[in-house]
Amino acid sequence: MNDLCADIGYKSINHYGEQLCGDHVDVVEKDESSTVIVLADGLGSGVKASILSTLTSKIISTMMAAGLPLEECVSTIAATLPVCSVRGVAYSTFTIIHLKNNETAEIIQYDNPHVILIRDGKNYDYPMTELVIDNKKIFRSVIALKENDIFIGMSDGCPHAGIGLAYNFGWKRKDIIDFMETISDVGYTAKTLSTILIDECNRLYGNMPGDDATACVVRIRKRIPMNLLFGPPANKDDCDRMMSLFFSKEGKHIVCGGTTSGIAAKYLNKPLKPSLRFERSDIPPIAEIEGVDLVTEGVITVNKVLTYAKDYLEQNEYYEDWSLKRDGAALISRLLFEEATDINFFVGRAINPAHQNPELPINFSIKMNLVKELSECLKKMGKSIKVSYF
Amino acid sequence: MKVTICIGSSCHIKGSRLVVEALQELISQNELDDKVELCGAFCMNKCQSGICVTVDDELFSVTPDKVNDFFQNNILSKL
Repeated sequence: MNDLCADIGYKSINHYGEQLCGDHVDVVEKDESSTVIVLADGLGSGVKASILSTLTSKIISTMMAAGLPLEECVSTIAATLPVCSVRGVAYSTFTIIHLKNNETAEIIQYDNPHVILIRDGKNYDYPMTELVIDNKKIFRSVIALKENDIFIGMSDGCPHAGIGLAYNFGWKRKDIIDFMETISDVGYTAKTLSTILIDECNRLYGNMPGDDATACVVRIRKRIPMNLLFGPPANKDDCDRMMSLFFSKEGKHIVCGGTTSGIAAKYLNKPLKPSLRFERSDIPPIAEIEGVDLVTEGVITVNKVLTYAKDYLEQNEYYEDWSLKRDGAALISRLLFEEATDINFFVGRAINPAHQNPELPINFSIKMNLVKELSECLKKMGKSIKVSYF
Repeated sequence: MKVTICIGSSCHIKGSRLVVEALQELISQNELDDKVELCGAFCMNKCQSGICVTVDDELFSVTPDKVNDFFQNNILSKL
């Protein structure tokens, strides 16, 4: 294993007026060494397309992850998919990105727009081999991964964006490449990149997409550890032990909580300097301790981070709030969502008597739940999480 | 004179931002910027009696609607 890992994110918009999306993305992680990502686009739109693409992506991702050969996956789909009564065919296109040991990517493409690979900020034309399986023309490539590689898989709803509106022939693949190249080295997450691409498609469609459109982005990046301290230990005598374990960890250090930051400041023998700048009314200001990368208030701030995390996994609508602002919750979100890949939580179980007031929305069980929910969200973002309680 | 306002979780929920903003306003109105230093503190370990404010080392409990009285009695009169 090397020190690379994959950041995977995707976003879809539905055909105008449809409740269901006819595109479907499935990600199966078999173990740390193998990840299969399938983007399938079902024939037509609405319920029928949704069923076709869901079946296709589920079948392929499960079979590929189990190590079955491609030929079997393809023939299983052909034999399983219901035949469309209108068109007389069973049809769903697909793109498979199979990451192995974070060293190579095997890309298998059937009738979707070809995957774009941006390497060192420029489009990289990778070689493809043509296979014919069950009369289907399938392209296969094996690519050795490099840090900062960005793979962009799309359904045809992306290049079709703007047909007859903004462009005569839609948003050409070449223009999509230009568009994505310019934002490739900013450091955006895969989810953000796919959101930007899909938002642009939606704009070109005049907010009334004529087809389901999906972008799935895989970003190859270095592993970056991050450590977050939240709450004082249940037993006061454990303070030093908790602090020495926390500060001995590699990577950035975030300290959340008033009492907690006091303990950290005392351990480091540095002053705790809270600021009085309210970046937004609902989040308390941040503070500074020399030797700590970020110091914030506890429950209120972390609760906001959780709100952002949940939204990030769904519609990513609060993206502008956390990606640009300077309040504690936005700063933590950027560090955790964008920068970190491996996060260690050090959680203290001390009960703050002042928080046990029924009028306050911040009691002990809420605090413990915050950590649990936030770590689940971060896991869904593909990060590896370790939680230690004190 | 050093005035410190707690901006920890409990005091924040009780409205410490309003106290901070009111004091900032009062201090600049009275042109006391060079006499009174406003600071924040994360937790003064007196959460139950918040919003905690200290003037030099004396601890007070202030609510947003009593900021004016507090300013007259404990800041302005002591300068």
